[in-house]
Amino acid sequence: MTKPYEGPLATQFIGTPSEIYDESGDFWVVDFPRSITHHHTYGLLTPFFKGLTEGKLMATKCTNPECTENSTWLPPRADCPDCYARTEWVEAPTVGKIYAYTMLDYAGIGIEMETPYWQVDVQLEGVDTIFKGWLKQGKPVTGMPVRAEFRTNNPTHTILDVCWVPIED
Amino acid sequence: MIKFGKGNLRVPQWSRRVFMVAGGCTPFRKYFPEYKLEELVMMGYKMMLEDNDLKMSPKEIKDSIQYCAYGEFADHFQDQLLCEAKIHDYLGLDPLWNNGIKTGGATGGAAVLNGAMAVASGYADTVLVCGWERMDEVDTRTGNFYISTAACKDFETRMGRIYSSYYAPMANRFAEAYNLSEVTRAKVAVKNRGYAMSNPNAQQPGHHTVDEVLASRMSAYPLRFLECCAMTAGSASVLLCNEEMAYKLSDHPVELFMAGGTHTLRVADRRHMEIPLLPNEPEGMYDELLADSGRWPGFESFLAARFAAYLAYRMAGVHEPLEELDLVELHDAFTISDIQTYGDIGLRPYGQEPDYIESGDAYFGGKCPSNLSGGLLGTMHAVGATGIWQAAEVLWQIQGKYDKFHGEDKWWQRAGKQKPADWKSLQVPDAKQGLWISHAGVGSHVTCGILRKAW
Ligand SMILES: [Zn+2]
Repeated sequence: MTKPYEGPLATQFIGTPSEIYDESGDFWVVDFPRSITHHHTYGLLTPFFKGLTEGKLMATKCTNPECTENSTWLPPRADCPDCYARTEWVEAPTVGKIYAYTMLDYAGIGIEMETPYWQVDVQLEGVDTIFKGWLKQGKPVTGMPVRAEFRTNNPTHTILDVCWVPIED
Repeated sequence: MIKFGKGNLRVPQWSRRVFMVAGGCTPFRKYFPEYKLEELVMMGYKMMLEDNDLKMSPKEIKDSIQYCAYGEFADHFQDQLLCEAKIHDYLGLDPLWNNGIKTGGATGGAAVLNGAMAVASGYADTVLVCGWERMDEVDTRTGNFYISTAACKDFETRMGRIYSSYYAPMANRFAEAYNLSEVTRAKVAVKNRGYAMSNPNAQQPGHHTVDEVLASRMSAYPLRFLECCAMTAGSASVLLCNEEMAYKLSDHPVELFMAGGTHTLRVADRRHMEIPLLPNEPEGMYDELLADSGRWPGFESFLAARFAAYLAYRMAGVHEPLEELDLVELHDAFTISDIQTYGDIGLRPYGQEPDYIESGDAYFGGKCPSNLSGGLLGTMHAVGATGIWQAAEVLWQIQGKYDKFHGEDKWWQRAGKQKPADWKSLQVPDAKQGLWISHAGVGSHVTCGILRKAW
């Protein structure tokens, strides 16, 4: 049973004093630091992220005969937005063509690739969407053929486990 | 190709007419430590109550409000959940109902649309729409990361952690598809930052040259720093009313027509869609363009903006946007997104967007000038406030009050600035109708509002 209130308490401050960041005017600006970890689920898309660690690009396809679109999705999605049927896993091709690109010079905090680097959007045969990724080497041109490379050793367990490299011919 | 359901294309019909009568805002700054957030909100709100020639006292207006729509982009930036409750209490508006609105960069527009729905439905006769953002509690790169969490955290955020990197691929694609030069893009930055020179509240005004823009530091190729908006602290408010209250409050009320549209957050997920045609676009006019590009909106255009305009033009009875609109305020968070929108809202047909700039139509004195306020590039992007402030700027143009709110010494003093000796009025003569676009994500949410002189 919970103990009832038993009388007066003596309490100490056990936190960390906030630093004053700026007092250059009539105001105080004080620091509220913060460090947080989120436990994030990949849910029904977990096979996609597992697939990356096995060198596979797993997409989903709606196979419902009633569906007007039967689209193939990469990034995958578990539910078809056109007919609401559950989609099925299919392997997407690991070669494609550059659809769009940018060179990222000034990135936000926490960036995990050395900057600058090329971010690329890759069009894959049979996939209805265009797949965003990063180019490990070379310089992109619209229409340039590329193949996927997977970080199967020491994977990051994130989307960064797949990147693209130019196909030399 | 994705086709829309007939029911999905119904044009909104409001039960009552909706009017805008007043607007207010703070000066906009990168760092604003002199005031707490609620104090900044009070500043813009009081300006709305006191400085708009309303025919009732601030106290009487406060006593007439029945509902509030509050726009705030990100709890991350404020580091405060339920900020709406703090602000609402601070403005002394309890126990009136309020809704906190969040639709990314379109939050301000969405708050206006929400407030308009309250008037149109009869829930309220007088509505406060108010928005804010305080982006100065974190350093710039952390701020960039926060904003990038408005990209898909599973598939996109880690690819850049900065929003410019989600627009930049569209810029490269657009340049190739529609023959857009870097110079035209840079001209948008020169124009809007130049107009910001006349705005006492502007955060980053400047008389730049095209060469300076193109020589500024690269963010994500091809977008340079001077082509990207800043992070801002500030607030904005507008007052919406039904017809009776509008004329009781103002001799110069402005009627509002407004709608919104949406599209995938991930640009990658855009599939080929049919193009909803604007009132002046004949069937089949884009067959050739589609045969070339193979997909619409692709990376070139925004379905959300097109759909919002599709509805709003029909609500307002606008047939020829370029002829019937006297000015527009567009969401120029990046030069490229500004240009992309010209086609979506029919300032030019798709494929001819650069001509809106090159023809001179977009400039003060041109056919339909854009972003005379200085826009997001020159004046502000305190995200939750942005779409509300843009509306206020259009309102003041139609009311003939550009000079009052941009030229009077009082506002320059409030902003702690000296009015430039070469200050120039950007009042559009006899402006009767204007439009503003509020835009989120990489085109995930877009509102299109039309304001029309109603006296
Ligand atoms: Zn389906």
